[in-house]
Amino acid sequence: MNGQTTTRATAVAATGVQREAEAEAVAAVADPWITIVWNDPVNLMSYVSYVFESYFGYPPPKAQKLMMQVHHDGRAVVSTGPRERMEVDVQAMHGFGLWATLRQSGASDGGADGGAA
Amino acid sequence: MTPFRSAPAGYVARWDDVEREVLARVARDVAELVRAESGLDPGIEVGDGVAFTGVARVPQDPAVQRLLPDAHDEDADVATEFRHLTQTDLAAGKVARLVAFADAIDSPDEIPDDPRAGAEIVVPREGAQEFAGALTDVRLVLAERLGLVDDADVEALHDDVLAGLDDDDIDGEERDAADEGSDDADELAGWERVGLTGPERRYWGGVFVAAGFAQESLVDEMLADLRAGRPTT
Repeated sequence: MNGQTTTRATAVAATGVQREAEAEAVAAVADPWITIVWNDPVNLMSYVSYVFESYFGYPPPKAQKLMMQVHHDGRAVVSTGPRERMEVDVQAMHGFGLWATLRQSGASDGGADGGAA
Repeated sequence: MTPFRSAPAGYVARWDDVEREVLARVARDVAELVRAESGLDPGIEVGDGVAFTGVARVPQDPAVQRLLPDAHDEDADVATEFRHLTQTDLAAGKVARLVAFADAIDSPDEIPDDPRAGAEIVVPREGAQEFAGALTDVRLVLAERLGLVDDADVEALHDDVLAGLDDDDIDGEERDAADEGSDDADELAGWERVGLTGPERRYWGGVFVAAGFAQESLVDEMLADLRAGRPTT
């Protein structure tokens, strides 16, 4: 990801903790699927934040946190739920030009819980 | 090119003739590439809300693979099924918005008497997401052609293009002869690996940077409107 003027992307505060707990609670439901967004060097940080805020309706701190996670860890889990809904999300991300994949949450992958522990 | 600024009619910037012509041409080229690579019937008129039932072809061009990527990184069956179900719609949507983008900048609302002032580009709020999306697809394809694989590649390109602006216009063709021999790249960079010459890299790099500048200023304004709760669509 590329951010020429995104100094505001620095201070992402503790507001994400509560939402993270919510996300984990959702992930505990049997066999949910997840949507993963992967880093790329082209998409602007501000654009990725815009996508997360406008499409998912995430508040700016959560969008920012996910965006920074993509940037630093190479990927982030941006949504969790039934497969059909994750397919809709992945298609939407591809529409925006973000690189996204879906995966069953229990599948063998260290990053499936969101990476940056 | 001036940054986009929020105005009552939408997001407004000024682009000069070269910027409009080059970006429109690249957008149309990308639209054609997506259409051909994704197996869209060239006879079909693409547009909003039209459903397609064509057979999804896996794109061979890496740039189009990036625009229409696999939806699963390990399970090929899931990826294939997803592509079968979604690719035609996705590709048609991208083609439509790239063409709309090109049309919009080809025929600006107002062309000033002084050509140096640049024509006014007005992006209505309800069309801003599509406009920004078209810029994304253009930038993704240019990045592939420029061999930009990581953040360092992009930063190096930005530095080189902006350094070149000191003595040259962003449209690089005139300066190529004068610049020959002043190249200080000793190791093989991404743009050399993909077979670009220095002048080609400066030219397409300039287009990439200009598209990024336009997109960033546009998205900043869109984000400000979104966060302020102002209507954005």
